[in-house]
Amino acid sequence: MSSEERKLIDEKFLRMNFNERIQHFLLFSSFIVLILTGFGLKFPESFWVKWIVFIIGENAFEARGIVHRIASVVMIVASLYHLYYVIFTPSGRQLIRDFFPVKQDVADFRDSMLYLVGKSEEKPLMGRFSYVEKMEYWAVVWGTVIMGGTGTVLWFENTFLKYVGTMGMDVATAIHYYEAILASLAILVWHFYFIFLNPDSFPMNKAWYKGYLTREEMEHEHPLELKRLEGTDETEVTEEIAEEITEAPVDKPLDVTEEQLDKKENEEETKGKKE
Amino acid sequence: MNTHGKHIIFIFSTVMLISALLIIADSYSRISGGSTDVCLSCHEDKDLTMEKNGKKISLFVDPQSHKNSVHSAAECEDCHENYNPDEVPHTKTPQQVKCANCHEGSKPLETNVHAKVSCYDCHTKHDVRSAKEFAKDQTKNCLSCHKNQNISHYSESVHAKNKIGCEGCHGSGHKVKSITKKEVSALCGKCHGEHEKDFKNSIHMATLKRGDVNAPTCTDCHGSHKIIRGKISVESQACLKCHLDEKKFPGEEKGSASFVTHYRTSIHASIDSQGLLEAAGCVDCHGDHMIENRDNPKASTNRARMIETCGKCHKDVVESFKKSKHGQELEKKNVAAPTCTDCHGEHDITSTLISNDFTKLNLTDKCLSCHKDGKIPHKNFKGEEELITGYQNSVHYLALKDGKFEAPTCYQCHGAHEMESADNPASKISKNNIAKTCGQSNCHTSQLNQYTGSIHEVGVSKGNQDAPACNNCHGNHGIVTKNIDNKSQKSKDIVKLCSNCHTSVELVERNDLPTNMGESYLESFHGLATRGGSKEAANCESCHSYHNVRPSTDSLSTINRKNLPETCGKCHPGATEVLFTKKIHLNNPEEDSPGVFWITRFYMFMIFGLIGFMIFHNILDLRRKLQLRKQNAGMKK
Repeated sequence: MSSEERKLIDEKFLRMNFNERIQHFLLFSSFIVLILTGFGLKFPESFWVKWIVFIIGENAFEARGIVHRIASVVMIVASLYHLYYVIFTPSGRQLIRDFFPVKQDVADFRDSMLYLVGKSEEKPLMGRFSYVEKMEYWAVVWGTVIMGGTGTVLWFENTFLKYVGTMGMDVATAIHYYEAILASLAILVWHFYFIFLNPDSFPMNKAWYKGYLTREEMEHEHPLELKRLEGTDETEVTEEIAEEITEAPVDKPLDVTEEQLDKKENEEETKGKKE
Repeated sequence: MNTHGKHIIFIFSTVMLISALLIIADSYSRISGGSTDVCLSCHEDKDLTMEKNGKKISLFVDPQSHKNSVHSAAECEDCHENYNPDEVPHTKTPQQVKCANCHEGSKPLETNVHAKVSCYDCHTKHDVRSAKEFAKDQTKNCLSCHKNQNISHYSESVHAKNKIGCEGCHGSGHKVKSITKKEVSALCGKCHGEHEKDFKNSIHMATLKRGDVNAPTCTDCHGSHKIIRGKISVESQACLKCHLDEKKFPGEEKGSASFVTHYRTSIHASIDSQGLLEAAGCVDCHGDHMIENRDNPKASTNRARMIETCGKCHKDVVESFKKSKHGQELEKKNVAAPTCTDCHGEHDITSTLISNDFTKLNLTDKCLSCHKDGKIPHKNFKGEEELITGYQNSVHYLALKDGKFEAPTCYQCHGAHEMESADNPASKISKNNIAKTCGQSNCHTSQLNQYTGSIHEVGVSKGNQDAPACNNCHGNHGIVTKNIDNKSQKSKDIVKLCSNCHTSVELVERNDLPTNMGESYLESFHGLATRGGSKEAANCESCHSYHNVRPSTDSLSTINRKNLPETCGKCHPGATEVLFTKKIHLNNPEEDSPGVFWITRFYMFMIFGLIGFMIFHNILDLRRKLQLRKQNAGMKK
């Protein structure tokens, strides 16, 4: 994907293309369903489970199992497609390349922590994917593999019992359960913070359905990527550029108020629609 | 003169004197004896009659009987005064014979019953005998006048057979009297002292003393003259004669005629009508002479004495009743304790086989009439009443209602007369016996077979009060096939049921039961699914079976290693090859399943470490960004 394409119009910077948004949609929708139907099994007496059971009726338990399996299939199919996407499509290849952890991420993490605890006044500048997002991505990959694997064992319990025995089943159950908790908490604490609570994105980072970030958001979260996109060359952001940008006063006060921003956004939206 | 002449003179004169004397004597005799003979010369004719006021009167006098009578010496005119034998009729003014003319010193009549009766009415006219001899035939004499139906039946009476004559009651000779109602009992009591003593204490006597004319005395039941031994006649003619009279006993209450009428439809009466003398009549229950009000503690129909009364005939039944809880409480004078009549009825007593009240369905009502509404305080359980009334929702009762008459009602489990509280080891429903009771033939025999030998049964038979018998799982009265169609709820119920004991810390410790059973199940997939409402997930009984619960070391146990493939295979086809690598209930994960243990540790570290870090990181991030915003806002100003 060329930088031309990514820089759609002046103030919009493509964050997720349509294909990726569909993947993300499939991922998070199946994820939510899996969480509800999964914890619905584990905590059958909790109030929200009771509500759901009340609404669905006497076959809620059976429905829960079926829906959980459907969602898991959706997630696994989406994951497999994602695998295909990152291997065989140019934008996918670029994506996985950008997601790969590099040494710079360790440095960014260190600087970021120093900045956050107040030891440093400089906020490290992030590229297309910061260490936050990389952690997130690989956590999802890890989680999907673990959950998919153990889930399959539990799904076809009569087959797998023969190979792993009751102990194996218990191990699979334990992993599936704890991994679920870990994944849910990670999404809740890590992902949701950056998407919703984060003052720069608040109330929500709309990239997941609009596909683009505003200049302001880019400036805040991905200044290097912004710089790269706005740069003339199509090459990746070099360290020099990164340094250059790092030196620049990024966190200068904003000239626009919130209201103005909203107005601007609305205008952009209408423009987008017209187009 | 010579001596010869003197002798002749003497002999002659002597002969003359004797002749003279004989003549005198003869003439004297001709005057007296002669008159009777004269009379009899006519009156010995049997056909001699006269007419008086148009009536033919026999004038026959049997000369022989007169000769034999005490009056044989008397001449006719000694009694029949002023009779001239030469005239016919002998007198124009016939006068009554006045015995008193001669019998001046004899006892007068002491009573006026026979005031209008002449002496000769009793003593007869011409064949009058001595008093001693006369007394022998007094009864016959009496009956010759007293010919009415009632008195004439005397000859059939037990008194007649035992030669107790009229004088026995009415007095003899001149003391004959009529007997008033008030005197009767005392009079009879002279001979029947025991009975009279009883009668004196009876309600009949008490009523009599109050002056109630309806109150009976001896004769009212036994009859006055036709007194016959045997109760049938007494009952049919005596008791019911009064007690069925609605005028004498009005109303509907106990003691009323309508109440007594029920006797006629009772089993006792119907057997009676078939001629069986063993059947109970009035006196068999109420007593004969000492009939008392039932409130009187001495009365045979008093509640306290009822079992004794019925026990006269129903010996075996009463013996077992005495040992029962009901019987014991009755003995303790517990007013709430039932006696025979409380269940079987009083006059309306009917065979339990045919009575509507004793059909299995109605019997419940009978038992519940006391065991309901808190009438009987229960010491054993709170809410036992609900347990009992719960019978009406039980499968047993519903089956009965559906016409399955083999289904049990109260007595089949509790026993009828031998009803006992569960505390009593001899009781049919004591912990030791309840399985036998439920498993009695035609009932739950196969279940009993399964239960026998199970660890629960072994515990019970060893006297362990914690071990469950049938009722501990199935309930007592309200045995229901609860949620039988709602499999998920049924599953939950079973888990809850087993948990009652197997998750009780106290009980588990006391009996050295495996710990953590409930919790480990509830956290397993089976448990979670059951909790979540699965219809097919395994509950306790799916693996452990229900009646035949045995420890895994028992080769007959469904959870014996050998049998596990079959047990698990019910749900997990192909489970024959399943590797049972560990305990199913994990008591100690570190030992029983190290894999799970270490995974748990790892994830705990990850969750607390990683998520903790994320929270920490994000809080700092938020703080920094908000700080920045504040700064920017300040600079803008």
